[in-house]
Amino acid sequence: MKNSFNEKILEEAKNWIDTNKSVILATVIETWGSSARPTGSKMIVNEEGDFFGSVSGGCIESSVIKECLELLKENKPFKKIEFKVSNESAWEIGLSCGGEIAIFLEAIN
Amino acid sequence: MKRQFLKEIIKKKEEKIEFAILTDLKNGERGIFEKNKPLSSDFDKYKDKIESEFIKKKSGIIKDTNIFIETYVLPITIIIVGAVHIAQYLINFAKSLNFEIIIIDPRSYFATELRFPNIHVINKWPTEAFEKIKTDENTALISLTHDPKIDDPALQYALNNKFFYIGALGSKKTHENRCSRLKKSGFRDSQIKKIFGPVGIKLGGKSAPEIALSIIAQLVEEVYKKK
Repeated sequence: MKNSFNEKILEEAKNWIDTNKSVILATVIETWGSSARPTGSKMIVNEEGDFFGSVSGGCIESSVIKECLELLKENKPFKKIEFKVSNESAWEIGLSCGGEIAIFLEAIN
Repeated sequence: MKRQFLKEIIKKKEEKIEFAILTDLKNGERGIFEKNKPLSSDFDKYKDKIESEFIKKKSGIIKDTNIFIETYVLPITIIIVGAVHIAQYLINFAKSLNFEIIIIDPRSYFATELRFPNIHVINKWPTEAFEKIKTDENTALISLTHDPKIDDPALQYALNNKFFYIGALGSKKTHENRCSRLKKSGFRDSQIKKIFGPVGIKLGGKSAPEIALSIIAQLVEEVYKKK
């Protein structure tokens, strides 16, 4: 069962920051329909594109990483992104579960 | 998010304090909610809404606001009475499901470190053991000895202390006898009915890991029922 106390993503974020890496935290803030990971699921991304944790079942991670790297480049503090996919085209864009999902990206500084 | 804020969250997690992280999605401000502690001015006007989400143990965007709340709720603790064979399988399932585990058994030849490495084992009679454990509505009891001397005091304690789940191993006959003993000790039928006995969902298996699986499956089912 999900328990936030046992998740170690924020701890890993701190480890990365301690080694002078820039870190973006991505958090699932809203889901509609069927989505692989529940609200509160997290992923961290650094400037080299390394990532840890997940925000879906592997469907949208690559797009989220791209968005995180852009946020770093633009030097913005935060951003909200959404993935809305219909069942028919789900396989093209990536959310094969057919759900919709909103993610909050935030730089840790 | 400030680095200092990240450190603060990690510290709260280590101290095992229940709390919630608040994020204002409009301006990126962050805050921490903790019971009976003041909130920063940015979030104070939504105090009631935040508190009600926290009590419901929910995470999500709070209705009619721009606030995202993420609640950190402590895992359920399973107290297993009886350091028996089934318990050895039960703790493996329980660990992978993020439950906290405590084992009570007064019989020192059962309650050994070798049989239960890295598990909190209390080698005392239940009544004495419960003096050392904090229990609440986030605690489950599973009694596995089917020895009334050991199981009954633990079941009585759990019935008197609002446990989240109470299960007792034993055949239908054993459970009937157990219920009549509890009745004689002054427990009402409505209280005794709270005990899942014979414990577990009907899987049909008889081996120790199969019984452990049926017990943990029932516990998980109850967790989601009560949400």
